[in-house]
Amino acid sequence: MLTISGLGVTYGGLRALTGVSLEVREGEFVTLVGPNGAGKTTLLKAISGTVTAAEGRIAYRGRDLGRMRASERAALGIAHVPEGRRVFATLSVMENLELGSYRRAARAHRAQALETVLELFPLLRARRAQLAGSLSGGEQQMLALGRGLMAQPDLLLLDEPSQGLGPRIVEQIFETIDRIRRERRLTILLVEQRVVEALELCDRGYVLETGRVVLDGGREALLADTRVQRAYLGG
Amino acid sequence: MAARAQGWLAIAGVVAAGVVLTLVVQERYHHRVLTLVFLWAAMGLAWNIISGYAGQISFGHQVFFGIGAYVTVLLVVKTGLTPWIGMGLAVAVAVLAAVLIGLPTFRLGGIYFGLATLAYPLIFRIVMDWLGYQEVAIPMIRERPGWFMQFTEPRSFDLLALGVLAATLVLSRLIETSRLGYRLRAVKENEQAAEAMGVDAFRAKMAAYALSAVPAAVVGAVYIHAILFIVTPDAVFGLLVISQTLVVALVGGIGTLWGPLIGAAVMVPVSEVLDSTVGDRLPGIQGVVYGAALMLIMIGAPDGLYWRVHQLIRSRAARGAAASRPAIVAAGGDAAVASAPAGGVLLEVRDVSKAFIGLQALSDVGFDVHEREILGVIGPNGAGKTTLFNVLNGFLVPDRGEVRLRGERVTGLRPSALCRRGLGRTFQVVRTFPRLSVLENVMVGAFVHARAVGRARAVAVAALAQVGLEDRADDVPGGLTTLELRLMELARCLATSPRLVLLDEPLAGLSSDGVDVMIAMIRRVRGRGVTVVIIEHTMQALLRLADRLIVLDQGRRLAEGAPAEVTRNPAVIEAYLGKRWLARMGKPAC
Amino acid sequence: MVLAELVQYVATGLLVGGVYALMSIGLALIFGVMRVVNFAQGDFMMLGMYLTYFYAMSGIDPLLGAILTIPPFFVLGWLVHRGLLARVTGGGDPQRQMDAQLILTLGLSLVITNATTMILTPTPRGIRTAYATQAFALGPVLLNQARSYAFAMALVLAAAVYVFLTRTDAGRALRAAADDPEAASYQGIDVRAMHGLAFGVGIALVAAAGGLLATYYPIEPSVAGNFIVLMFVAVVLGGLGSIPGAFVGGLVIGLVQSLTLLVLPFQLQNTGVFIVFLLVLYLRPQGLFGRRARTV
Repeated sequence: MLTISGLGVTYGGLRALTGVSLEVREGEFVTLVGPNGAGKTTLLKAISGTVTAAEGRIAYRGRDLGRMRASERAALGIAHVPEGRRVFATLSVMENLELGSYRRAARAHRAQALETVLELFPLLRARRAQLAGSLSGGEQQMLALGRGLMAQPDLLLLDEPSQGLGPRIVEQIFETIDRIRRERRLTILLVEQRVVEALELCDRGYVLETGRVVLDGGREALLADTRVQRAYLGG
Repeated sequence: MAARAQGWLAIAGVVAAGVVLTLVVQERYHHRVLTLVFLWAAMGLAWNIISGYAGQISFGHQVFFGIGAYVTVLLVVKTGLTPWIGMGLAVAVAVLAAVLIGLPTFRLGGIYFGLATLAYPLIFRIVMDWLGYQEVAIPMIRERPGWFMQFTEPRSFDLLALGVLAATLVLSRLIETSRLGYRLRAVKENEQAAEAMGVDAFRAKMAAYALSAVPAAVVGAVYIHAILFIVTPDAVFGLLVISQTLVVALVGGIGTLWGPLIGAAVMVPVSEVLDSTVGDRLPGIQGVVYGAALMLIMIGAPDGLYWRVHQLIRSRAARGAAASRPAIVAAGGDAAVASAPAGGVLLEVRDVSKAFIGLQALSDVGFDVHEREILGVIGPNGAGKTTLFNVLNGFLVPDRGEVRLRGERVTGLRPSALCRRGLGRTFQVVRTFPRLSVLENVMVGAFVHARAVGRARAVAVAALAQVGLEDRADDVPGGLTTLELRLMELARCLATSPRLVLLDEPLAGLSSDGVDVMIAMIRRVRGRGVTVVIIEHTMQALLRLADRLIVLDQGRRLAEGAPAEVTRNPAVIEAYLGKRWLARMGKPAC
Repeated sequence: MVLAELVQYVATGLLVGGVYALMSIGLALIFGVMRVVNFAQGDFMMLGMYLTYFYAMSGIDPLLGAILTIPPFFVLGWLVHRGLLARVTGGGDPQRQMDAQLILTLGLSLVITNATTMILTPTPRGIRTAYATQAFALGPVLLNQARSYAFAMALVLAAAVYVFLTRTDAGRALRAAADDPEAASYQGIDVRAMHGLAFGVGIALVAAAGGLLATYYPIEPSVAGNFIVLMFVAVVLGGLGSIPGAFVGGLVIGLVQSLTLLVLPFQLQNTGVFIVFLLVLYLRPQGLFGRRARTV
């Protein structure tokens, strides 16, 4: 579904990605891990269109995304749940969710999608009139996830959902992601710093370090590979 | 040196041309236009000092113009004081007003500053109305009219206006080539970086504002005597004055001497001609022309005609010189300075905590930094490393805790004060002063301790030599590679003669060769007696470089010690990769 | 001071404030979504007044005329954004962009005011209606009918804006784009189109407000300059970018202006407004409802 070849990105005057190639097949769950500054978020932004690629090609369903704007890519069915959640703080929980299904293809099934999401995150149902800015970090993460799901996407991009959250909430989040994965036929690309939780969920994984892919492989192979640790802590 | 003399020569040339025009022009009406060109050019230059050099766009500069007019005329009317002296008093009042307005207003950031400057002329208008000065006419003085600035010969007004222009040109040039000028431009280009390089931005802006009030007040006083003869609140505090000022300065070119000259020479005659030919049938044609000029300039050449032309000429020249530069070779001595850093404690951090809305960024962080050591600060994403630097550097005030530099309490001081005490910093994303040359960028740092421009230049040249960038001195930062930019930032920091430098991810985005060069450079810096604290993610590189490491996780200090032990510390591994990884791997691999 | 007199001033202030509130909402919407301080807002209001005047000359009651200014001015606003504002980017630096936009709209304001003076002459015009000179009596308080109708219409329009922003997809998308443009684009919202929409709505609102104002205020080119400051103050008071804030700010400014007349003569009626402006800027720049406090 998603094929990236030879991607190079310069972001903020720095070389963030060099020669990155990866693939996500339909229905797969792919995880991308790596230390801070490796370029994981930049990669997701390049896919969803907020950052332009200097070299390389990103193809979605065979179609070169080229210079397509972010809003157009979202309309195609790519949902990006950004790093740091980025919920609309001045809007209510409900309004955030409704906005999730802004794209034309999703609007028709809004009510249905809403029911499913609220069932997945009962906490959001309880807080639906509250301003999103007043939710806790974990609640905001669930809202961001729910908002992403409201778009009824074909490809879900998750950027470090565990960032800044306590261990218990993180567990909950990962459980929910697993559940989403099992109950729907979504293709998921997850970017994470927490290696094991992220790798345990996936079918295949990649390890990114200073803008390059240094390792890739199936789930079990990566989980047993000590080289993953080296990418984070050297040695 | 030659360039500087050139500037003064050019000014002399302009003044000479002005004199020639004054003598050559015949008709009374043309003299009036000439006078207006000189006066508005001077007004534009005055505005340029605060809005061009310092980058604080003021929409209320006519306040000083109006003060100049009112004070001078009221003194003539009420006390019979000659305007030649009255003007001096008006200037004093204007400077006082600048200080009073600037004090609260420069603390406002962003758009609020511009909005506040809009309010003052309106207030003055109301005050003048209320005081009953809706119309103050200059009384005709028949004996010794020259003594009262009432000339019969129009050439005299031209020369007077030219004199004002010449004086303002000299003032502008003096500022441009002085320490203040460099600092103002640094503040304009990147205020935070300027602060970190020891520039007290507030003081610099205040100085510029007070200086900019002087020519504006003088122009106001002369304008009334030469052109208007009657002072009304609307005429001197009104929108048309600031519009004309903006047009002259913006169309010509902001931030340069030549801009307002060009702008006035082009726009004033155009609008005057239009006004006199079709002004009766089309009242307001001036306003339309000015408005259209402002819009076109903002869309087409936002910095003004001067810079547009400058850019075109420069890009043609640069195309030739874009040859590849020799890569900077990592000068020998990679292993040389592995000497024991064991110096006394230079920086003490105690119980520092900082919270933002919904996030406790730092909790009770404490550690010591020893003289001449290289201390690495690491930690997973969101650990609070940059927040820590911002606290150490003065950009943030901690909620609790304190920081001591050589025993002196420095918590809460602004970045420029810390820089003067020897604490330097580089940024994660290099913050350059884009329109200054590399050398001038570094000079801003040198000005912390050097008073004279010559001395600062010498210090800057030496700093550039230290990092190997001497032959890039006259280039603009835009043309540098990432490595060269980081080296430039380092040089700029070194020019402030620091005792301790905070380096924020200096290796990010560099190729492996670049990393080698940077590492060698940092070692050399330490070798010269400077202590280094460095945030880095490129772990392999940091392990080679650091003497000690401190690990932060979720705002707390997690571990401290030699690199080899820290990276094997289970708590640290868990912080980076998670508890489950640790469990899976059993004992951490070597 | 008699209580009845005070109540009268308060009542008048509120009535007038309602129209100010409508004017200010437009400005707040534009700033909130686009971060543009539209100096020409007063000029579009003035043009709205003139259009309503021409409607009135063709026999359409100005209250209806005000509503009818909305479609043409929406289109005008959208075109102005496309043709002018979208071209000024300040080279990526948000501060430079705001300064550049302010200068651009200042230029636009000069052009509109002076062109109107040239084409339509500075002679003030007025719309004569039956209700402009009549008043409702509410106990001891007299409420001028024109101002009362204008107030009522302003409230209706403000309510319509509220419904638009909270109940429609487009309105919510506007608020999202104001809140976090990057996150908004992830939801498929075309932020640039939102800018055009915001500007169009903002201009349409202020034009309608002008139409309402025209029921009791003389129509001349200089009106633009008289009201732009009031709008700025109202928006800053309410909190830059907050629409309910701008609404409250407008009402408060109307009150301040009216109550100033208790102590100062008519020419100085804006003194109180300026004092409020400076107080807000220096003491609480984020206003009543604003989130971002900008101090250096």
